Amino acid sequence: MEYRTLGYLAEHPLIFATVKIVIVLAVLLGVVAYLVYLERKILAFMQARLGPMRVGPWGLLQPIADGLKLLLKEDIIPERADRAVFLLAPVISIVAALSVFAAIPFGSGEWVIFDPNIGILFVLAISSLGIYGILLGGWASNSHYPMLGSLRSAAQLISYEVAAGIAVVGVLLISNSLSMVEIVHRQQEMGWWNVILQPVGFVVYMIAGVAETNRNPFDLPEAESELTGGFHTEYSGFRFALYFLAEYANMVLISSIAVTLFLGGWLRPFPNIKALAFLNYAPPVVLVGASVFVLAFGLKSRVRGERRFFAGLGVLCLILAGVVALPVILGLIQGVFWFLVKVLLILYAFIWYRATFPRYRYDQLMNIGWRYMIPIALANLIVTAVASYWLTKPHAAVYSALPWILRGRFA
Amino acid sequence: MTLKKYLRRVFLLDLFKGLRLTFSYQRPSATYTEQYPLERPPVAERYRGAPRLNSHPETGETLCIGCNLCALACPENLITVGTERTPDHKKRLTTFTYDLSRCMFCGLCEDACPGDALELTQDFEMAYYSREGMIWDRQMLEQGPQPTRYSR
Repeated sequence: MEYRTLGYLAEHPLIFATVKIVIVLAVLLGVVAYLVYLERKILAFMQARLGPMRVGPWGLLQPIADGLKLLLKEDIIPERADRAVFLLAPVISIVAALSVFAAIPFGSGEWVIFDPNIGILFVLAISSLGIYGILLGGWASNSHYPMLGSLRSAAQLISYEVAAGIAVVGVLLISNSLSMVEIVHRQQEMGWWNVILQPVGFVVYMIAGVAETNRNPFDLPEAESELTGGFHTEYSGFRFALYFLAEYANMVLISSIAVTLFLGGWLRPFPNIKALAFLNYAPPVVLVGASVFVLAFGLKSRVRGERRFFAGLGVLCLILAGVVALPVILGLIQGVFWFLVKVLLILYAFIWYRATFPRYRYDQLMNIGWRYMIPIALANLIVTAVASYWLTKPHAAVYSALPWILRGRFA
Repeated sequence: MTLKKYLRRVFLLDLFKGLRLTFSYQRPSATYTEQYPLERPPVAERYRGAPRLNSHPETGETLCIGCNLCALACPENLITVGTERTPDHKKRLTTFTYDLSRCMFCGLCEDACPGDALELTQDFEMAYYSREGMIWDRQMLEQGPQPTRYSR
């Protein structure tokens, strides 16, 4: 092939997009696998345990071992199950969960796969499709527990989707755009994050987000103690792994959406205050901190192999810190770094909730959804609408209110 | 409901209290788990574990005088002391069996011993694949249990 053709291929937008998709998918699956590890570790520490310790140093190879185990396990399909739907359901779940990441801006500029002008609508629409995976999987299993789990799931997801959707609309009113990139740009122009203008919306969205990802305290669809696993009871082997991956990918997704809409996406805290520009050097500093942490704790290990591993890891962190400190690379990863930090904080909160809150009863769940969340979200929307109308066009607001005031006075 | 209670509920203060508690438990000092084969828990000094037949630290000769008092003191009758007479009519220890499977670690043998010969040590790893393995002979008693040391 001639050089010119190759150059043309490299410049073709589809090629570049494909490369980006592959990178995002690979990183995402790795993040999801290690999110499971992180969850088990944090949960263990909060319960005065240690968590996985035996596979690799500090159990760091545990996710890989789990994945291999699930790959090798027998893939059982119940005899009376609806075969086609049973096979399809987990695929729907994982595809819906992963494809939404296309519209999430991880950083400024090229750090987004595509940015449709209906971004947030696309995100909500595709992520809602994931519910079909849960519903169909539970129904196709032809078994009691999965059926109950998926019924609960349907009721729960529908009621909380409404609250989450209305909470998002508040942000849309402020930023006057549906595009995810544009929403972040608006926050940059304003100089502060949307969470300061929409605290109620943020809280409502986060609670609904926990409910939508089927996590504690809203994990009724898969309540282990009640439904032996809920909708995925009959699934085994890699199909179960797909459900598992989808659930954790959804967690990352909800956190990413919350970060983009409310917490300023890839922006650093207070993006327009020049006095805080030293925060731009956070990535190398954090990496140096990580290496100090790894060395301080890892070198105390009693096993020689582990000491070597942690020494290597610490040195790697230091080298990375050096690379990241280069101005070119620092500018390139600045946005992604802040995005990841915020997403990690929210994911930590998800795990934190799981360690803290007991599960709600079914009627309590419905009460919270319909009697509190949706009215609060609606009130927030109305206040936001009136306030933004008033602030953008004060005169028009007064004029439009005038006849109403006069009628009240002189009727 | 009083206003204070109402505000507590609206701002979910109880939930934050719970979150603070679980957060505080993350400190490494709160971790309770012992990594057993890698780190062995320290047992109390007066713990009565595996028996040991002590030898003289310098000459290496056994401290046991073969008086049979331990065997008499044992409520389970699990100690058998075998002796022989030396040419100068002294008792000398030949065999010593101790059936761990019947032992309740009461320590009466230790108390009965006139010398410092029989002693219940702090070793606690005494699991065996067969009942025969739990009957310790003199050699086993002198060297003590040797559990597998695991390493990575």
